[in-house]
Amino acid sequence: MKKFIYLMSNFVSIFKTLGFIFFTTLVVLSFNVKAAEIKFICYQDSNECDTIAEMAKSWESSTGNKVNIETVGYEVIREQLENQLESDAAPDVARVTNLGGLNKFYLDLKPYVDSSYWETNYGATLPWYRKPSGDDGIYGWQTQLTVTGPYVNVTMFEDAGVDMPEEGASWDDWADALRKVKSELDLTAGLALDRTAHRWAGPAFSYGAKFHKDGVPILVDEGFRKFSEVFVGWHKEGLMPVEGWPAGSGTAYKNAAPLFLDGTVAMHMSGSWMLGNYDKNITDFQWKVVPIPCGPGGCGAMPGGSGVVAFKSTKHPDAAASFINFLSQTENAENFAAKTSNITAHQGLQKSGIDYKGVSPVVAEGLAIFAANAGKAADSTPQAYWFQGYNKNFAIYGIVPDYITKAITGEMSLDDALNAIDADVAAKIAE
Amino acid sequence: MFESFFNINYWYFILFVYLFIGFLLTREVAGFIPRLMSVIGWPIELSQRISGTKSLPYLFLFPNILIFGLFTFLPLFMNFGFSVTDGESINFSSRDYSGSDNLARIVLETQIDTGIENMENDKFKAAIADTFIFVIFQVPIMIVIALITAVVLNREIIGRAFWRAVYFYPVMLSPVVVAFLWTLILKRQGLLSQKLIEWNWIEEPIQWLTDPSWTMFWSVFVYTWAHLGFYMLILLAGLQSIPKDLYEAAEMDGTSNQRVFWKITIPLLMPILLVVTVLSLIKAFQAFEELFALQVGWVSLVSYIFETAGLRGQKTTFGLGIAAMASLLVAVLLILLSLLQFYLTRRQIKL
Repeated sequence: MKKFIYLMSNFVSIFKTLGFIFFTTLVVLSFNVKAAEIKFICYQDSNECDTIAEMAKSWESSTGNKVNIETVGYEVIREQLENQLESDAAPDVARVTNLGGLNKFYLDLKPYVDSSYWETNYGATLPWYRKPSGDDGIYGWQTQLTVTGPYVNVTMFEDAGVDMPEEGASWDDWADALRKVKSELDLTAGLALDRTAHRWAGPAFSYGAKFHKDGVPILVDEGFRKFSEVFVGWHKEGLMPVEGWPAGSGTAYKNAAPLFLDGTVAMHMSGSWMLGNYDKNITDFQWKVVPIPCGPGGCGAMPGGSGVVAFKSTKHPDAAASFINFLSQTENAENFAAKTSNITAHQGLQKSGIDYKGVSPVVAEGLAIFAANAGKAADSTPQAYWFQGYNKNFAIYGIVPDYITKAITGEMSLDDALNAIDADVAAKIAE
Repeated sequence: MFESFFNINYWYFILFVYLFIGFLLTREVAGFIPRLMSVIGWPIELSQRISGTKSLPYLFLFPNILIFGLFTFLPLFMNFGFSVTDGESINFSSRDYSGSDNLARIVLETQIDTGIENMENDKFKAAIADTFIFVIFQVPIMIVIALITAVVLNREIIGRAFWRAVYFYPVMLSPVVVAFLWTLILKRQGLLSQKLIEWNWIEEPIQWLTDPSWTMFWSVFVYTWAHLGFYMLILLAGLQSIPKDLYEAAEMDGTSNQRVFWKITIPLLMPILLVVTVLSLIKAFQAFEELFALQVGWVSLVSYIFETAGLRGQKTTFGLGIAAMASLLVAVLLILLSLLQFYLTRRQIKL
């Protein structure tokens, strides 16, 4: 009993001490009002995060809030962010590419921004962030409108004495030209394509692939099959390198840019986000963007781009929304597009034009061609815009390379691979 | 007011409170350093006062148990939970109980949600088959080479310590570094292809890591190279534990080296050889880091689980559940191997 009383008196004295300290601190600190500090996870293809960091200084000085920008690799956004969001370890703001897939985590900016301004200037891209139906929220600022399309090594074509096909040429015309360049210069391969259905889709649309019927993904139609046969054939004849699609296993994404940069291939099917990177890093050969090749289905290109979004879990929704709203303003969107050599998603600026001060002629020409590619795709292959907005497109991006690679390496026949694609897509999107 | 309280840099505050409490609770001790140590260690002193010295060992064990529980048992239970639930989220509140559906999604020929062919079943079987092929070749090859190397390095040779370090060095390298080094050699423009073309052994460069004819060979080669040193060291220790007088007696009897090896060395080394074999079997089934970094052209069991779980950024509704169930199936196999190792180790003790 005595021991019990002794023990209790110890606990009482501890609690008294702690209680005194706690309440004193509360009183003192209640007068300490701190400005909001938001965490922004950003990835960049070239200098996008650096540009936003510069722009953020102006927002910080006008609001008194602070934004901590953490620049990370794209793999962090692609592979880790969603887990962070589910485990409450999320940042306040992030630059993301899986626009529809992360919808359930987004903070609706509508209560904090001028909705009419956003609908007028970003109305075409706002649906990419929303749920499939019944959602009119405003969730993110589209940092750029990207379009897929090919880059070519002009020096290689000149050295080989091969003329480049003109605008409106088909993928077959380009394949013929690339075969000649490969043969003349004894190259490893002629054409490389990033290992994802996002890049594959453009040529597939050109061959007539529709990718959906009434909003339901239906992948393997006649156009899809036809392009699959062509694509596998390009690999078997050596026009496409083994370091590309065959070098990946499963659903792994592989960027083919290193193959273009080191001169392994004469053409890289990529997108407008690589303009700044190539302008900075290619110093030993001439390169240019060419109009998207066409086919019986049209001139297919995939639109897209990344967006800056805020998350519901943020403890500073006002500050996060204010920051994104700041970035979306006309002058800031124009500044961002000009400094990063990207096509703006701001519809007002698309009409009035961006003065890409100081960009090289090849980048300026590239931007114009990519913008034209987007227009051609909207007219001739509108299924591209559906696919971009489909909230489970990220699952499909990996399934197509998984089985097409197996058909290329001979692990399964093309027929089996195409049947597997349909079956796997159906299973992966089933609820 | 409450928000500002929790938003400060509270670590300094917590340290201050901790020391203040220690100052109040601990007994007066002569000297500044002893007093400081007493203040810092106030939880120990308090627990001694409360529970006495008998409970103190458990207090010291508690942090280790906590860490072990958090990083071993908790993930195990969570994994089991994922295997019997559906949903993209890792939060159980957002997942629905599905019983054995995930098992059905892995093993049945027909996909239970769509009624058409089940691709997951094929992928899982392919991963098992390829991993078995990898294990069947990699483990015996590595054990044999490790044994031969250990026998050679157990002799009195010039630079023995240097050669032991050379063989153990790859074990200390990170799997990513191992993969990077070998990619430089094995990629199409790499050293191996260039040299073989120079010597006219091949006409065109080969992408050794993804060529279907070579990918498994080089997977086994690189993995063996990276892990050989560890098992060699264990076998070396085993060789050194064999009594020297047995070899002396054999030498006096004029026994040939070959007979000594098969009749003395191998039987006495057998318990350790068996343990090493089971350990390397378990590790081989779990092979992932080097193979993933090398980007080999086949999918191992762990790669399959990694990808299916959506850890490559392509989450699907059933992916996490399927991956968790697949990992449980693999775990059953590894538990059987571990029990075999335990049984062999006990036999060794009894002998």
